Formats: sequence, structure tokens, C-alpha cells
Amino acid sequence: MTSRSLYFLVVLVFPLLGILFFSSLMKQGVPTRMPIGIVDLDQTATSRKIARNIDVTPLSKVTMSLQSENEAMSQLRTGNIYGFVILPENLQADLMASRQPVISYYYQNGFLIAGGLMQNDLTLILHTLSGGINIQKREAMGQSKDFILSQVQPMQLNTHLLFNPVSNYSIYITSIILPIMLQIFILLMTVYSIGIEIRERTSHEWLHTADKSIFIALTGKLLPYTILFFTVMMFQNFMLYKVMQIPVHTSIGWLMFISFIFVLAYQAIGVFCIGLLPMMRHSLNLSAFYGILALTLCGFSFPVESMPAVFQYWADGFPVRHYMHIFQSQILADFGLSYALFSYLSLLLFLLLPFTIIRRLKSALIYQNFIENMHKT
Amino acid sequence: MKNANPNLSAQIREGFGHMFQIWLREFQLIFSDVGVMILIFAVPLVYPVLYSFIYYPEVVRDLPVAVVDLSKSSESRKFIRGLNATPDLYIQSQPCSMEEAIRLFKKRDIRGIVQIPETFSNDIALKRQTTISAYADMEFFLYYKALVTGVSFVTLETGHQIQVSNLMQEGISMHQAEIIAEPLKLVDNPMANPSGGFASYGIPAALILIIQQTLIIAIGIMAGTARERHTFGTLVPLDRRRMGTLRLVSGKSAAYFTIYALLCVYMLGLIPKWFGYSRSADFIELLALITPFLLSSIFFGLTLSVLFKNRESSMMLYLFSSIPLLFLSGIIWPLSNFSPLWLLVREVFPSSNAMFGYIKMNSLGASIFETRKEIMSLWIQTGVYFLTACFVYRYQVQFSQTLRKNLAHLPFREIRRQFANR
Repeated sequence: MTSRSLYFLVVLVFPLLGILFFSSLMKQGVPTRMPIGIVDLDQTATSRKIARNIDVTPLSKVTMSLQSENEAMSQLRTGNIYGFVILPENLQADLMASRQPVISYYYQNGFLIAGGLMQNDLTLILHTLSGGINIQKREAMGQSKDFILSQVQPMQLNTHLLFNPVSNYSIYITSIILPIMLQIFILLMTVYSIGIEIRERTSHEWLHTADKSIFIALTGKLLPYTILFFTVMMFQNFMLYKVMQIPVHTSIGWLMFISFIFVLAYQAIGVFCIGLLPMMRHSLNLSAFYGILALTLCGFSFPVESMPAVFQYWADGFPVRHYMHIFQSQILADFGLSYALFSYLSLLLFLLLPFTIIRRLKSALIYQNFIENMHKT
Repeated sequence: MKNANPNLSAQIREGFGHMFQIWLREFQLIFSDVGVMILIFAVPLVYPVLYSFIYYPEVVRDLPVAVVDLSKSSESRKFIRGLNATPDLYIQSQPCSMEEAIRLFKKRDIRGIVQIPETFSNDIALKRQTTISAYADMEFFLYYKALVTGVSFVTLETGHQIQVSNLMQEGISMHQAEIIAEPLKLVDNPMANPSGGFASYGIPAALILIIQQTLIIAIGIMAGTARERHTFGTLVPLDRRRMGTLRLVSGKSAAYFTIYALLCVYMLGLIPKWFGYSRSADFIELLALITPFLLSSIFFGLTLSVLFKNRESSMMLYLFSSIPLLFLSGIIWPLSNFSPLWLLVREVFPSSNAMFGYIKMNSLGASIFETRKEIMSLWIQTGVYFLTACFVYRYQVQFSQTLRKNLAHLPFREIRRQFANR
């Protein structure tokens, strides 16, 4: 009495749609041409030149030229622009007279990526402008060109990316978000496929077919899903490493092994949930609560090391966190196996979880004492 | 209405009476279902508190880094002290070589490396440009940000001091030197979330998303359970007096609306107050945004609910959408970089505009007028989903009616046979 389409949707359609969604949404890698505004209160040759210079970086694009700070602020609040720069009155005159005019810039910092990028971009442009004026002054003082360059910026900062040379958000977001989505499907499907046998009182037949062995019963039940979810995960790997061209430093064999134990670990947790709470409505709630929390506690959004200590231990209870570490240190950065060994061990440890509740689950299958009562009307 | 009643007011009164009955019955059903109670009370009560505690530190402070000091001079030691003094960085160790630092990095003892070149003090003495290298990892965005922020701050400061002192050596007054070195004063004004706290980025969006997701899943569970409970698997019971579509939809909606209106007081009123998230929006502004949001979510949920055949279906089919919806709202990936297709898909879900509008109002201080696009979209969704909810429920009512009519003239034994075959 369960609809077949449910299985089809949860195991194949939605996971694949999720993969396509995330690989297409952020395919640019880094946002470009984010709209910003300029308030030019000076309206002189200098201020117009500065305004033109602000427009040159690929990250932002001046889409609005506004009359006042209030108007610009209102556009920022409305969401039409992500930031704006105010070129004050008397900018040109103050510059000529060495009176250090003040240029203020505002940006929307309510959004993580946009806020950070806007800050970097506007700060960089305006510092470059300031440096340019510095150079002009020194040239007027008669300093030589080479000397000026060393003087204007006596200390330079070079930022290098270690091991993973791509500064591309979609790689870091998509490669972790996809496993997080997949674990939700694996968890729910495992709980559902076992829970429905208890709920529909068909668990006797099921156990009977397996010669009353709970191990055979569980293996027979879950193996098809293992294969299907493993295939979905390999398709996911194909999209990440072939289509999106994320650098990969391990062989296909390793990728298969990692994907395989990832699927198994979550199936084990699913079995644990339904064994702990054999009434499906409760075990589904439990696994949903746990599955959604992975997004936070795997430490991808906010680093685990910066969380309060309690949550740092809790975070270890999520296979996706260990998977993320393996991805970052072994697949992406090529650190060598020894650095990821602890994560592999942790993932394998999850496979022991079902043994703790196996007797409880078997008795629930036999006695069917966890069936919710429902009055037909 | 089939039997046109000449007394319109009596009909309206009867309609409201029925609506009220359905409202109470829905309440009864919700409050007698532990699974749904957990979903619509425990989740909205617990998650915001849990998230707030997890993100309590808000920003990454004292990122452990290694400094490879190849200069070993008094200038370089001063520079290192400067790094350690920033709130962002903590000098965890000072290895002798890059190889050693990289080994520490692989072990995750440190999260970034700063290298001071051998020529550091000579460069400064000889008025040459010197280069500091910072090695970061992009894997954690916030670690990268902390390292770059900390090192570039110290580099700019030190560079500025060197430039000014060089100019003064040439006989320029300190005031003049400052102006040559910094012809423009730049003032940085981050809006909405000045400290860049992570909870302030994430929690407001999470609050809105939790409201929509629990609502839709709960409505789906109730519908799936109704189908399981009713003989012949209909959504609308057979044995009851015919209830008009409008009464059914409005009665059910009223039940969810009252529960969630109260939950909103807690989630959007108390939680931000307790944990100190920005609260620029006043009550009227929030009311203007949240009313159409709740209504459109409820009608959207009712429309979808006819698809769910079993109690579990809505959780199985809808839970995962929370993650794509977070990205569709435009708070992570900027809307200006969305393709037209995803902008269109974005408009399907009430949460997208509600999350965006809520952050605008509460963090940036946008007025109702400045949030008009979001509020308008939510009202349009309310209208559209109200019509679709009525449409699908009308079909369900008619289906039940037809089934009942077909069964009515069958003998009892035949009905029993059909029931057994179901």
C-alpha cells in the first residue's frame, strides 16, 4: 500500500535534481559584476575619473549613479545594489590643497559571500586610487619612478593558496553540500524501508523469507539501496570531478571505496534510528533532525574548532564531517593517506552502530509491539 | 452552491459555522498527533536555540598560524608581535623552515602560514620594498578570511609607518608625511552585520526556513494520515455532511495560522531578543511581511498535501528541499548572479522572498516600502496558492461525493467486499 513513485523519487529523481541544481547554480565559481552605486557630490574631472576607475574590477559593476547618501542607502536597503561609494563635495579642491578628503564606502554585510567580496573589492579599489594619488604627488616632488614604487608600498602582501590553488566558491560549497543532501535521502530511505515492514505488519513474512536471521533480512533489504545510492554518489563524483573539473588526487578505486563506506555508514545510522525507535513516525523525525543538523555540525559553514567545546565532540558523530576531511586532505590537497586515517577509522566505526540495537530491532519485528493505533473512520 | 438559498445571510452564517467546526476539528487532530506536535512545536522551539549556541562565538578569533621568520631581526620580531596582537590571529608556533610549517599544516595544528623573508630588515633599512607571504587554505572560508584580514592589517599598518618615517628622514614634517602617504581617508562602513558574526548571517534565514518547512511537512503529514485513516483512501471523509471547498480550505488554514502566529512571536520576537540579533524591524513591519508569508506557505502546503498518499510521504519528499531553498533565497549566492531559470524557480517558494525580506527589514532596517517587492510577491503567491488549494480540494471533495454516491445504493456486503480489496 505504499506508492512505488515514492521510492523512485527519493532514491533517484530528487538526488539527481539536487546534483544538477547545485552544479548549475554557482557555475561561475566566483560572483561577478555585482551591482554597486556611486554618489558623486563633487562632479569634477577628478571625481569622475575616480568613478570610472571604480567600475573596472570584474567583481562589481556601477549600475547606479545617485544624488545623495539617503537615496543610495535606500537603494541598498531595497536590495538593488550591494554597496556604494560616496565621493564628497570639494574632493578635487581638497586633494589639490592636501587636506585629506574622506571617502566613505558602504556595503551590505548581511550576506556572507557578497559582504566579504564587496569589502575586499571596494577596499582594494580605493587603496589603489589612494596609492595612485600618492605616486602623482611624489612625481611632482621629483622622485624617480623606481624609488616611488618602493616607497608607496614599502611592505607588500602576497597571498598564496596552499594545496588547492583554485579560489572558486562552487567547488568548496558543492563538494560538501551534495553529500549532505545525499545523506538525508539515505537516512530517510533506510528508516522508511524497514519501518514500513513494522507498520504494515509484514515484518513476520520478511523475517521468515530470511530464515529468521535478522542479518540476512537486513542485508537483503538494504543491499539494493546500497547499490542505488552508491551509483548516485558515483554520478555525483562524476559531476564534481569530471564536469565541474574539481582537481582530484586519488584513483577511481579510492573514490569508489570512500563513496561505498559513506553510503554504508549512513545506512548503519538509519538502522540504528529505526532500531532505537521502532515506531516509524518517531524514527523518521529523529533521522530528519539528525540529517538536517549535519549541515551545521559538519563544520563547513562555521568551523567546528571555533564552536563551543560540547559541539566539537558532537560534530564527530556525523560521517559527513569525516567525509569532508577525507575530501579536503586526501582528494583535493593530496596530503597522503596517513593524514586522513583517523577519518577513515571513524567512518568505519559507524558500521558497528547497528549491532547495539540489533536485538531490539529483531524483537520489534517479531512482536510488532510498536504499531501506532489508527482508528478507521 | 447547488441549492440556492434565498437567505444569503443565513448561508454565510452557516458557512462560518462550518469553517469554525473544521478549524476546531483540525486543532483536535493536530493536538492528538504526537508526531506532528513534535514537528510543529519541538522543532521551532529547539532549533533556533541550538543554532544560536552552536554559532555563539560568531566569528573566528585567534586562528592558530605558524610564522616562518627567516629574518630573525628586531624588525621581524616586532612584526610578529603585531600579528599576535590582532584578534584574528594567534601565533601557535615559529618553525624554522617552510617544510616544517607545512607538516604542521597537514596535521591541522595550524591553519595558515606567514613567511617573513630573509631580507626583511635589510629591505627596510635600504628603503626597498619587502614582501610578506601568507599561505592560506580556501577549504574554510572563515579561516581564509581571518588570516587575510589579520595579516593585511598588520602589513598595511607597518608599511604606513615605514613610509611616513622615510618621508620624515627627507625633512618633511610629520603632518605632511601623513598626507602624502594617505592622500585620501577611507572609511569602511559594513551595513547590516557590522561585526560579520556568523549567527547574524545564518540564524535569521534559518528561522524563516524552519517556519515554512515544518508547516508544509506538518500539513502533508496530516493529509497523508487522513488518507490512511479514511476508508477508501480519500482525503476528504465520506461519511460527513458535505463541506464546501472554501470552508474546508479556510477552516484548515485558520488552524495552522493561529498556531504559527504564536510560534512567530517566539521565533521572530523572543529569539532575536534573547540572543541579541539585530532587530531593526518594528512590529508593524514584521506583520506586513510575515502575514502573507504564513498565508502563502499554508496554501502552498495545502496544495501540495493532496500529493502525499501516506503519512511519511511529506517528510520523505520535502525535507531535503531545505538545503536548495537556503541557496535559492539569494542570501548565500548573490541574486545578481542567478540564471533566469533559477530566478523563476525561486519565485515558486514563499521562503525565498520571506528570507530575503526578513534580512532586509531586520538587519538593514528596510521599511515596508523598501521591501515592497518581496511583500508583493508573497501576496501574489498567497493568491495563486489559495486558488490552487481550493481547486485541488474541490476535486477531492467531488471525488469523495462521487464515491459515496456510487457506494450508496450498493448492498452492505458489496461495500465490505470493496473495502477488503482496497
